[in-house]
Amino acid sequence: MVTTVLAPVAGTAVGLAAVPDPVFSQAMVGPGSAIDPWREPGQAVAPISGTIVKLRAHAYIVMGDDGRGVLVHLGIDTVQLKGEGFRLLAAEGDRVRAGQPVVFWDPAAVEAGGRSPICPVVALDAAAGEVDGEVRGGVGAGDELFRWS
Amino acid sequence: MAERKVTVMSEVGLHARPAATFVQTAAQAPFDVTIAKFGVPPVNAKSILSVLALDVRQGETIVISADADGADEFLDRLAAIASAP
Repeated sequence: MVTTVLAPVAGTAVGLAAVPDPVFSQAMVGPGSAIDPWREPGQAVAPISGTIVKLRAHAYIVMGDDGRGVLVHLGIDTVQLKGEGFRLLAAEGDRVRAGQPVVFWDPAAVEAGGRSPICPVVALDAAAGEVDGEVRGGVGAGDELFRWS
Repeated sequence: MAERKVTVMSEVGLHARPAATFVQTAAQAPFDVTIAKFGVPPVNAKSILSVLALDVRQGETIVISADADGADEFLDRLAAIASAP
């Protein structure tokens, strides 16, 4: 069984190691990738189809029907913004299709506030070897980012 | 059944680094470990998905449980991680 995980935002896929937070760069949360987003307001979308099991303004988890969960974190240390500058486009418990908008945000505003807008995308509870096919370079929101086998 | 009841003191709650450290430590236990929040059924403490979805905020109390020989030492370590500021 292979889960195709989509880029939640448009930008440059740079890999988890490029995230300026060791919790993510050392894959403590799990394997995956990261996107340095274009500095323009835009929608963050669901990386897989399933249920939004947790939705905060700065981060969300979508769990597929197979029980696999993918975490999207919009920027680093953005929990400190307490939702300011983020607008929810879906609700916790909603069923979503991969690519469906979940949060509207502005990476430029996050950066202007002194925080990195880079977005880790993490395969939760996955072993390191289960993630491959990682795309690097420019991606649009909803483009394939990596595969979870 | 051994258990520890602790209040989560980290500003970010049981998320980010505290959550990752908690789950990595729980995963080393050779027995099942659960974490529960008041009014919510216990979840697998070895699953980062389960722990993040439990969404424990600063100031909330959790109960960490295991039923096995040697559980006390693991529960003490997990309680220390969860209650660290």
